[in-house]
Amino acid sequence: MKKKVLVLLLPGLLFLTAFMLVPIVITVGSTFVHDGAFTLEGYMHFFGDTFFLKILFTTLEVSLVTTLMCIVLGFPVAYYISRRGRRQKSLLLALAIFPLLTSSVVRSFSWMIILGKKGLLNNALIALGLIKEPMDILYTPAAMMIGLVHLFLPLIIITLVGVMENIDPDLIKAAESLGASRFSAFRKVIVPLSVPGLIIGSILVFVGSLTAYTTPALLGGKQKVISTFLYQNAITLNDWYSASVIATIMMAITFAVIAIMNKIANTLNPKG
Amino acid sequence: MQENNRGLGLFTLLVYLFLLGPLVIIALSSFEPGTVLKFPPTGFSLRWYQKIFEVEMFMKTFKTSMAVSLLGNLFALLLGIPAAYALSRFPFKGKDALNAVFLSPVLIPGIVLGFTMLKFLIVTYHLPIYTGLLVGHTVVMLPFIIRVVESSLANFDFAVEEAALSLGAGRLQTFFRVVLPNIKSGIIAAVLIAFLESFNNVDISVFMTGPGVSTLPIQMLTYVENYFDPTIAAISVLLMALTAVLMFVIERLMGLSYFTKR
Amino acid sequence: MALLSLEKVSVAYENQYILQNFDLSVEKGQLISLLGPSGCGKTTTLRLIAGFLEAKEGKFLLNGKDYTRIPVNKRNFGFVFQNYALFPHLSVYDNVAFGLRLRKVKEPEIRQRVTKVLDAVSLAGFEQRFPKALSGGQRQRVAIARALVIEPDLLLFDEPLSNLDANLRVSMRVEIRRIQQELGITTIYVSHDQEECFSISDRVAIMNKGIIEQLDRPAAIFKYPKTEFVARFIGFNNFIDFEQRSDSGDEIELKAKDRIFRAVRHPGMSGANGRKGAIRPDDIVVGTPEEIEAGVGCLTGRVKVSTFLGRSYQYVVETELGSFTANKEMESPFLSGQEVRLFFPREKLVLVE
Repeated sequence: MKKKVLVLLLPGLLFLTAFMLVPIVITVGSTFVHDGAFTLEGYMHFFGDTFFLKILFTTLEVSLVTTLMCIVLGFPVAYYISRRGRRQKSLLLALAIFPLLTSSVVRSFSWMIILGKKGLLNNALIALGLIKEPMDILYTPAAMMIGLVHLFLPLIIITLVGVMENIDPDLIKAAESLGASRFSAFRKVIVPLSVPGLIIGSILVFVGSLTAYTTPALLGGKQKVISTFLYQNAITLNDWYSASVIATIMMAITFAVIAIMNKIANTLNPKG
Repeated sequence: MQENNRGLGLFTLLVYLFLLGPLVIIALSSFEPGTVLKFPPTGFSLRWYQKIFEVEMFMKTFKTSMAVSLLGNLFALLLGIPAAYALSRFPFKGKDALNAVFLSPVLIPGIVLGFTMLKFLIVTYHLPIYTGLLVGHTVVMLPFIIRVVESSLANFDFAVEEAALSLGAGRLQTFFRVVLPNIKSGIIAAVLIAFLESFNNVDISVFMTGPGVSTLPIQMLTYVENYFDPTIAAISVLLMALTAVLMFVIERLMGLSYFTKR
Repeated sequence: MALLSLEKVSVAYENQYILQNFDLSVEKGQLISLLGPSGCGKTTTLRLIAGFLEAKEGKFLLNGKDYTRIPVNKRNFGFVFQNYALFPHLSVYDNVAFGLRLRKVKEPEIRQRVTKVLDAVSLAGFEQRFPKALSGGQRQRVAIARALVIEPDLLLFDEPLSNLDANLRVSMRVEIRRIQQELGITTIYVSHDQEECFSISDRVAIMNKGIIEQLDRPAAIFKYPKTEFVARFIGFNNFIDFEQRSDSGDEIELKAKDRIFRAVRHPGMSGANGRKGAIRPDDIVVGTPEEIEAGVGCLTGRVKVSTFLGRSYQYVVETELGSFTANKEMESPFLSGQEVRLFFPREKLVLVE
């Protein structure tokens, strides 16, 4: 029995070990070694470098704003979808999943048409007389955020729908029968019960934004984020040591975020 | 169960406009006859669609993307189906940990995965870039295959397997004659989901380019940096059409609930 | 000689024995049931015989041939599962033909044999249906047909009727018995339903904690349970621990706290050497001290609980030998606290180990 399981699992395990685990472990390990001795020099260098810190903070800021925007936009929409009849729900879900499956290059590119100097948004605003000169939106952190919200909003919507559609609609009726207004019933019943979905969705969006490459590369212009900075160090500058340090920092942040959010999820879990 | 809430309905409509509007805009501006991408388009022309087929790099990278996604898919199936089967079929110690290992490629930032793979597959292991690309995409697809196959095996009654054994079928015969036919649609759905994931991948592919080797999304990125004509819009429309078709098939095979479950 | 025998078989799961030194033998053509509460090892025994489990120690012989290490797919036994385990992607016909195709039987012969067996289970005309379009009873018939068509050396049933509703259970078990007897096929049947096992079996094995407490004809078990466990299992709710026993011929005199009871040794009484007396609630005679005269086999006590059972009343009576449950049909019941006398007829008092 044990042997049978091993035979089935081994090819996949070996494959992942050789081509994923070993590369990652050695890459991470190499950042702590210099001339055969343990060192944190690489990290000290980065965390002492204002240029890198600015990139790091921009990345975190963009990711945080993106996540908050996704929650604010996604939560009500998910609630609306989860209370629709079967057909409408399927249609709305399909329309949210479609962008999710569409190439990120295509989706980010679409914002280049809209946000450019002669793009749709500037043209419209000028036509409406709201501004005289076209604004610089494309190639700014704002453009990145818009692109990232567009990229990840479907993810949080469908995750939340998955959780909300399992909430018994009678719970709201029960709350209303106990004297709650519709809004306070929503706030006191739906919101707490959606917390697990909200946390998973937020992790997906935050980590996704933190590590996204295509959107910042296309919409961010000269403004670097850590993923594009990693790419620049590895490919353009050929500085593999720095790239490895950045990769390690990225993974550390990712896992820290996941761990912290899981911790929050466990303490907030309404089922105790 | 329906509730009428006009405010919420309007809000949802606006959010969907935000989600789908840009895609509609891209689609419409692909018909722009001029050399600069514009919205609204100044006329109607299919010249940029024609151009896709005339630019050799697009055709070549499209073929590479196809080859890598399909071949990688095959490898991911060969590695993933046995693993998913073992993980769903047998109880054993350390199962959760192994499951986590198999799903870990989605957890690790793609760009980190791409970089470490470049460092190792190409530089340390001296694999040709094309092979590196293939391996990288197989790693990316593996968790999707495993997850979808596991979820279709979750609905499979393994007593049926014992029935086949008791009727005289061997282990392999049982798998191919009884298990496989019953999770067929799950496997096809897994293949399609993994295909889209691989075909659209940027994070790995962006590190695995070399003389004459690149994938379509990377080629598109490079093109956008240099030109702003409607070619990319035209390609986008074709990609969206492909996505829509594959998504429809996935929906037919296993519904869309896979996407809402986390 | 027995057709099938398990000799000193042990089965362990994660170092915990489920069966240890287990023996069982079955005669050719018989239907034997393994009956017992869940966790008693009955399903383990069946799965061991089927080949789904491997014995850690011991031997499994069939027709004199050692089957202990023969893999399940080389055994040629028919197995009928609790949840039917039909192949969902195959029609009724293909489900039944599955085993024949594996045996490389020619298509014309397959058609003939499948048709015949579907006829036997009254499913002619259902060939092209798929399992999900069948009712529970029909599915179970397909499962039986599928197991029968390969002409198995042994037919194994694992709680085959537990997913069916009560009426269907009764008619299906009659049908299973009919088919089994018509084909004369040696069968092992696992269930936790007493009535089901007793009604269809040639012999019943009552299992508890990995051992067979008693293996006998249904009627014999019902009348003369061998052990306290079996007695309890089949409804002997009352027990008396005797301190002394003296035999004279078939007459046995028993003593507990100076009260004298009598019992009869019967040839079928397999636990007759025990010192524990067992009796069913229906077999205790209960009455007022005026109605029943004190003497041998009698015990006086007070009614503690009185329950209306529909046809009769059930009393829990507290006596100096403990409390006893007795049933009596009567118009107006005894009252709680009322003094009553119990009489244990000597032909109803059974001795168990």
